[in-house]
Amino acid sequence: MKPPKYADKLLQFFCAPHLFEEIQGDLYERFLRNAKLFGLPYARRQYVREVLSFLKPFFFKRQANEHPSISFLNPVMIRNYLKIAWRNIAHNKSFSAINILGLALGMACSLLILLWIQDEFSVDAYHANGPQLYNVMERQFYDGKVDASPGTPALLADELKKEFPEIVYASGLSWEQELTFSVGEKLNKEKGRAAGPDWFKMHSLPLLAGTAETALNGPTNIAISRQLAENYFGSPQAAMGKSIRLGNKDDYQVSAVYEMPENSSETYDYVLSWADFMRHNEWLKEWGTNALQTRIQLRTDRNGVPADPGRLEAKMKAFLKKYNPKMATKGLDIQLFLQPYPEAYLYSNFKNGYQDGGRIEYVRLFGIVAVFILLIACINFMNLATARSVKRAREVGVRKVVGAGRGWLIGQFIGEALVLTSLALVLAVGVVWMLLPVFNTLTEKHISFQFANASFWVTLLVMTLATALIAGSYPALFLSSLNPVRILKGSIRFGSGARLFRQSLVVFQFALSMLLIIGTIIVYRQIDFIQTKNLGFDREGMIYLQAEGDLAAKYETFKQELLRMPGIQTVTFMNGTPTTSFGTTGNVQWPGKDPATSIQFQFSQVDYDFTKTLKVKVAGRDFSRDFATDSVSYLINKTAARRIGYRDPIGKPLTLWGKPGLIIGVVDDFHQNSLHVAIEPFIAKLSPAAEGKNIIIRTQPGQTKQALASLETMWHQLNPTFPFTYQFADEAFQRLYRSETVVGTLANYFAFLAVFISCLGLFGLAAFMAEQRTKEIGVRKVLGASVTSIVSLLSQDFLKLVGVAIVLSSPVAWYAMNRWLQDYAYKVEIEWWVFALAGLLAVGVALLTISFQSIKAALMNPVKSLRSE
Amino acid sequence: MRRSYLGEFEEVVLLTVAVLGTGAYGVAITDELDRQTGRAVSISAVHAALHRLEEKGMLKSHLGEATAERGGRRKRLFSVTVLGSRTLHDIRAVRDQLWDSISPQGLPAVSL
Repeated sequence: MKPPKYADKLLQFFCAPHLFEEIQGDLYERFLRNAKLFGLPYARRQYVREVLSFLKPFFFKRQANEHPSISFLNPVMIRNYLKIAWRNIAHNKSFSAINILGLALGMACSLLILLWIQDEFSVDAYHANGPQLYNVMERQFYDGKVDASPGTPALLADELKKEFPEIVYASGLSWEQELTFSVGEKLNKEKGRAAGPDWFKMHSLPLLAGTAETALNGPTNIAISRQLAENYFGSPQAAMGKSIRLGNKDDYQVSAVYEMPENSSETYDYVLSWADFMRHNEWLKEWGTNALQTRIQLRTDRNGVPADPGRLEAKMKAFLKKYNPKMATKGLDIQLFLQPYPEAYLYSNFKNGYQDGGRIEYVRLFGIVAVFILLIACINFMNLATARSVKRAREVGVRKVVGAGRGWLIGQFIGEALVLTSLALVLAVGVVWMLLPVFNTLTEKHISFQFANASFWVTLLVMTLATALIAGSYPALFLSSLNPVRILKGSIRFGSGARLFRQSLVVFQFALSMLLIIGTIIVYRQIDFIQTKNLGFDREGMIYLQAEGDLAAKYETFKQELLRMPGIQTVTFMNGTPTTSFGTTGNVQWPGKDPATSIQFQFSQVDYDFTKTLKVKVAGRDFSRDFATDSVSYLINKTAARRIGYRDPIGKPLTLWGKPGLIIGVVDDFHQNSLHVAIEPFIAKLSPAAEGKNIIIRTQPGQTKQALASLETMWHQLNPTFPFTYQFADEAFQRLYRSETVVGTLANYFAFLAVFISCLGLFGLAAFMAEQRTKEIGVRKVLGASVTSIVSLLSQDFLKLVGVAIVLSSPVAWYAMNRWLQDYAYKVEIEWWVFALAGLLAVGVALLTISFQSIKAALMNPVKSLRSE
Repeated sequence: MRRSYLGEFEEVVLLTVAVLGTGAYGVAITDELDRQTGRAVSISAVHAALHRLEEKGMLKSHLGEATAERGGRRKRLFSVTVLGSRTLHDIRAVRDQLWDSISPQGLPAVSL
C-alpha cells in the first residue's frame, strides 16, 4: 500500500527541504487513513491531489541557511578582498612599488606600441572603395632576374579601362613634383602630383569645394588641399575658380579643394590633370616607359560584389605584349599584376618579383617587443608574489579552514593582481600621455588618445585584464594549492618545483632582455656602417639645387658666375642626384652583346666636372670641352664594365639610345641608391641642357656658409621669380635611412626598458632572498665569513641564471638579426663580441642590482640578526 | 494596539493549535478544523498558515518522534507562544468590547 511514486518524486522536487519531511509525513498519514476508509484507488487519487495542492510559491522557497555560504562575489567578500589587497600593497611598500612601477612601464611601453600599430593599420584604410582598389604593377623578367616595380606606362590606365569591363575607374599617378606657385604676391614651392580624371571618384578624399566629376576633367584644372586654399586664398570656397600661376609660366584654375587625411601613405598638396602632365612629358607617350603608378577600381555588380581580381589579373598578365612588341626582341618580358591598394603601404617590399614583407615586418617586430616587455613585467609580479608566498601562506590556511574553496582563493589573488594592474594602468596612461608628443616627432605620426573611441577603452580593458590574468595566474594557482593543515602546523616546505619555476622565469626574462640588447647593438652597428661606409663619392659639402625656371636656360652663366664667388669649388648637373638614381635604361648596345639579354643600366645625363664634383675616382678621363666628340662619349662604372665584358674598356665603342660613341672613362662604383640594393651598372652621358636636372655644387671645405650666400645671390639675380631652395647631400642621404634610424632609436629605448624592468624584478628577488637568509648570514659571519664571501654567495645564484639566459638567447638573437640584415645588400657581419658585450652588459647590470642588496645583507651586524631568537 | 495582523483563517488555525495542546501537527489540526468548523480545509493551506504563524512568532515548533503510520517520518508539533496567546486575547478583547457596545436593538433578532 504505497502512494504513487511520481507524486512523491514531484513533491520532493519542488518542496523546500526543510518542509519536506513533515509534509510528506502528513500526506502519508492521510493516505493510509483514506486507504483504510475509502479504498486504495481513492487514497492514491487524493494523495496526488494533495501533493498538487502544495504547488504554491510558499512551499518552493528554500530556507536561508543559518550559516549561509556567501558567494565569492558577495559585496562583503569583495570588500574584504580589497581591504586585504590594499593592506598588502600598503604594508610592503617597496615590493608594491617595484610591482607597480614595473607593470606601469611595461604597460606604457606596450600601449605606445599598440597605438603605433593601430595607426599603421589605419593608413590608407579610410577609402570607401578600398576593397576594390588595386595597384597595377609590373613584373619584369630580364637578364635572368625577376623584378617587381610599381612603374607602368603612362598610357596604361586609359587602355586598361577601355579593354576590361571589370574596371570601372582607372587612373595614373605621377611622381611627386615640386612646383613654384604664385598667386598675386605670394610665392611658394609646393609638392604635388598629377592624376587621371577618375582620381577623386576612386578615392575618399573629402571635397570641401568642387565635385569629383569636374575636379580634373580640364587640362588647366588644379585641385588643391585645404592648406593651400587657406594659404593662398583664405578659404576653400574663396579658392574655387581662382587662378594660380605654376612655374612662373602657366595659369591653372582651382577646380576642387580637398582635405588630405593624415593617415595617408601618399600625400600631395595639389593634383594636376593627366592631360596637362602628358603635355609636359611627351616622352611618356611611349609604351616602353615605365615611370608612373597605375591604379584601378573594380566594378561591383548589383549586389555590391566586386569583380574577381584573380581572373582579371590572369587576363591582363600579357597585356603589354600587344602594345610593346619590341619587348620580346630585347629579351625582356613584362607581366602586369595587381596589388590590393589598402595593403600596399604595409606590404611594400618585393623580392625577386614577389611580395616579401615591408613595413608589416616592423609592425610584427614591435608587436612582439610589446608582448615581450609586458611579459617581463608580468614575470616580475609572478616572481615576487611566489617568493613572498611564505608570508601569504598563513592567510591562505586560515581562509581555507573557514571554508574558502580553491576557486575563491584563485579569484582573490587574481583580483589582487587586477587591483595592482589597474593602479599601474593609470600610471601607464599618464606616462604615455606625456610621451606621445616626443613619440610622434620621432615616428612622424599624429597619434593621439582616442578618448571618444570605444575601441580605445576596450583596448585598455583587455590589456588590463590580460596582464592581471597572466601576472596573477601562477601565484594564484600556487598559493591556492597549499595544504591548510600543513601551513597552520608550520611544517610547510616549499618544494624545489616552485623555486625552479621562479628561476626559469628569471632566465626567460633575461633572455628576452638579452635579445633586445643584441638587437639594438646590431641595428646600431648597421646604421653606423651605413653612415661611415665609403659610398664611392663624397657626400660632405655637396648641395643640390633644382634647375627650374630661368635657371635651366641661364645655367652656363650661373655656373661661370658661381665659380668666381666665395665658397664654391665646382658645379655640375645630372639627372637624379648622387643619392637617388634617376632611372634605368636597357637600350645600351656594344659589339658582341648577346641580343637575347637585356641588361638594365642606371643612367644620368650630366654636365662637365661630373667626377670632380662628386669626387668619384675615374680611370681614363671625365668629359672635357677640349674634345668635340664628347657629346657622344660615355662614362661607365666598374660594374658596367664588368657586365659589358671589356677587359680594357677605355676607348671601346658603346651605343646608348642608338647613338654610337666611345667609352672615355670608368668611374669607381659608387652607391646610386640606399645600401638596401646592390650597385648596378651605370652609364653617364654629356647633356647640353640643364632643364629638368639637378644642379650639384661642391663647396670649399669649411665654407658652407659662404657658399650658400653665393648661391642665394646668384639665384636671386638669375631666377628671381622662384624661391631659393636647396638640399644638402648629407641630409638627402640620411633620409634614405629614416626608418632604420627610427627603429634603432626605438629599439634602444625598448631594450633599456626591458633591462630596467628585469632588474627591478631581480632587485626585489634579491631583497627577498637576503631577508630570508638573514639568520644564515648572521651565523656565517659569527663563524668568520668575510663580507666578500657573503656577497659572492648571495650573487652567485642570480649570476648563474643570467648566464643561462645569455647562452639561450644568443642563437635566437643571431638568427633574428641575420634575417633583418638580409634586407641590405651591404651589411655588417654579426661578430662574436656583440654577444660577449651584450652578455657582459647583462651580467654587469644584474650584478649591480644584486650587489646593493647583498652588500647590505653582508654588512649587517650579526648580533642584531641572531638576537631575536 | 494590534501588533500583528492575523487573517481569519490564521486566527482559527492558531486557536485550533491551542485546542489540541501538545498534539498539534498538520493532520490533527486539519481534522480538528474539519470537525469544529465543518469546512473542508486543504492540508496545504493549513501548512502554509502554520509556517506563516511561526514566522510571525505566534507559534513555535519542534520535531516529534518518527512513527510507523507516517512511514518513519517525524511530525512537526506546534504550540502557541506568549505572543500568540496575547494576540488571541487581544482579538477576543476587541470582539467582546464590540459585542458589549451593541445595543439590544442593534442586531436583528436571530432565532438559534
